[in-house]
Amino acid sequence: MKLTYALTAFGLAAATPLPALAATINAVMYKNPSCSCCETYAAYLEQNGFKVDIKPTNDLSQVSAGLGVPANLEGCHSVVVGGYVVDGFVPVDLIKKMLAEHPAITGIAMAGMPMGSPGMGGQKTESWKIYAFTKDGKAPTVYATE
Amino acid sequence: MKHDFHYTMSRRGFLVVAAGAAVSASLRPTRASAVDERQIKVGPGQALFNGANGASTAVWTYNGTVPGPALRLRQGEPVRITVENGLDEDTTVHWHGIRLPNAMDGVPGLTQPPIKPGGSFTYEFTPPDAGTFWYHPHADSLVQLGRGLAGPLIVEEREPVVVDRDLLWLLQDWRLTADGQIAGGFGGMMDASMSGRVGNVVTINGEVPADLGVRAGERVRLRLANASLARMMALRFEAHRPVVVAVDGQPCDPHEPENGRIVLAPAMRVDIVLDMQGDPGSRHAVIDDFYDGLAYTLANVAYDKGPPLRAHPLDAPVGLPRNPLPAPDLARAVRQEIVLQGGMMGGGKLKGLGGMMGMGMPGMNGGAAWAINGMSMTGDGHAGMAPQFALERGATCHLTMRNETAWWHPMHVHGFSLSVLSRNGAPVPHRQWQDTVLLAPRDVIECAFVADNPGDWMLHCHVADHQMAGLMTVFRVK
Ligand SMILES: [Cu+2]
Ligand SMILES: [Cu+2]
Repeated sequence: MKLTYALTAFGLAAATPLPALAATINAVMYKNPSCSCCETYAAYLEQNGFKVDIKPTNDLSQVSAGLGVPANLEGCHSVVVGGYVVDGFVPVDLIKKMLAEHPAITGIAMAGMPMGSPGMGGQKTESWKIYAFTKDGKAPTVYATE
Repeated sequence: MKHDFHYTMSRRGFLVVAAGAAVSASLRPTRASAVDERQIKVGPGQALFNGANGASTAVWTYNGTVPGPALRLRQGEPVRITVENGLDEDTTVHWHGIRLPNAMDGVPGLTQPPIKPGGSFTYEFTPPDAGTFWYHPHADSLVQLGRGLAGPLIVEEREPVVVDRDLLWLLQDWRLTADGQIAGGFGGMMDASMSGRVGNVVTINGEVPADLGVRAGERVRLRLANASLARMMALRFEAHRPVVVAVDGQPCDPHEPENGRIVLAPAMRVDIVLDMQGDPGSRHAVIDDFYDGLAYTLANVAYDKGPPLRAHPLDAPVGLPRNPLPAPDLARAVRQEIVLQGGMMGGGKLKGLGGMMGMGMPGMNGGAAWAINGMSMTGDGHAGMAPQFALERGATCHLTMRNETAWWHPMHVHGFSLSVLSRNGAPVPHRQWQDTVLLAPRDVIECAFVADNPGDWMLHCHVADHQMAGLMTVFRVK
């Protein structure tokens, strides 16, 4: 009854090869145990220099809320990396940019699961907004538009 | 009052119910009447999930307990059950899996007006099938089930089955806050569009499980019923070889489950026979490992130190007598197809949800997250639900259910049991009939039933969040 995940398709193909000398970045992914798209996203991160420790949880909404992700930005997984939270299928370049620049935010999130994003597969049909959020109750701001 | 039910049969077949006297009295048939009369009062109460010394949890109850009283009916004998609504909101009772007249099915708007606060409704039916069933509300289902309203319903065989003990595990899953109360936030977007409101505490017959005490050599019939809102379970009995004898109340050819795992989605029942062949004094875990990486020990089978009851397992066959289900005539069947769509990762395929998937926020603000054949019926049932298809009375319906989503769905059909023919093209063995058929992501199930019971009937996912958010439809038998 276990799911076999097809990790082919988009995530791997779209990933840029890992630079030989880059250090591994450790990340923890909290995900719904039944969601397969998160696995695709984890594989995409691993292809791009991250080491992802997957922690399934049936209480994802509580975990994500505890990490400070605004309810309207919650996706099917939350990743904790370098002291930041990454929610949803955020492209890896933006994560690396955030880790390098150290902005004063809690994390970044891509709302929804648009076609063509890492994890969803398919063709990109619209521009994506990635939001930055903080834990101080202020409204999320646009971090990047892809 | 202690909310403690032992749904056990003594060796001589008496029902042993250890509960408050008032509750027991209402469960007993009234002698004066020819018809078996029962009373159920719906109302708020307190549950002690951790036993008498634990904290109490505010719940909604049937006759003061969670789960509600075990209703034991007799096959082929009429019963009249009066339900009194002591809640501040409408309710109904659905007798899950019982084949009964449409007007007794308990769907508000569709089969009856809802029972108003302070009002009552008398359900009358004659259960044709012996087996393990259950009852629960079909109004504000997510909240009412999630706050405790559910109870077991056992229809006894005309001739008793040869076992030493007949036990029931009504399994419930609760999302509790740190202070032991039922968490709010029912119907949130994440739950609605993903796996539903899976909780953090599982109880058996209303209590956090302790050991199941057994005696070496005995034969136990264990009726498993998953009354959870959303939690799927896959139970393994370590060092034991359970034999499945019935699914959803309907006897099947006795068989050991695949990989020794008994898969129980919400609303499913599985009756197993266990020959207790462990050593006196030994202990064996019952493990639920449905969710990858989240296996846990549900309970332990604990043998007492006494000598075995008998040297060898009982010789008596474990199979149960079949129920009088009408045989489908596949050669002349009418074909219908139900396609399940939506949810997170719906991939924008979903016409019925319009732009919702593109926004990526299905289920927000009580909206639809799911659809059947492009149509989202949300809520619990209401007047004017147009049937997806209609069947002539007596026709055989060959029903295909196709899960196009990335999620698991236990699909429940009201009023009928389905002969399950195939899963993903492979025949389903053991002559299984089910009222709640679990579809894994992308599964295609074929089943058949005879449309012998007129009325508008519901067909929906029994993950309560999914039903509320659109995974529901109606069909008509003329
Ligand atoms: Cu039900
Ligand atoms: Cu479902």
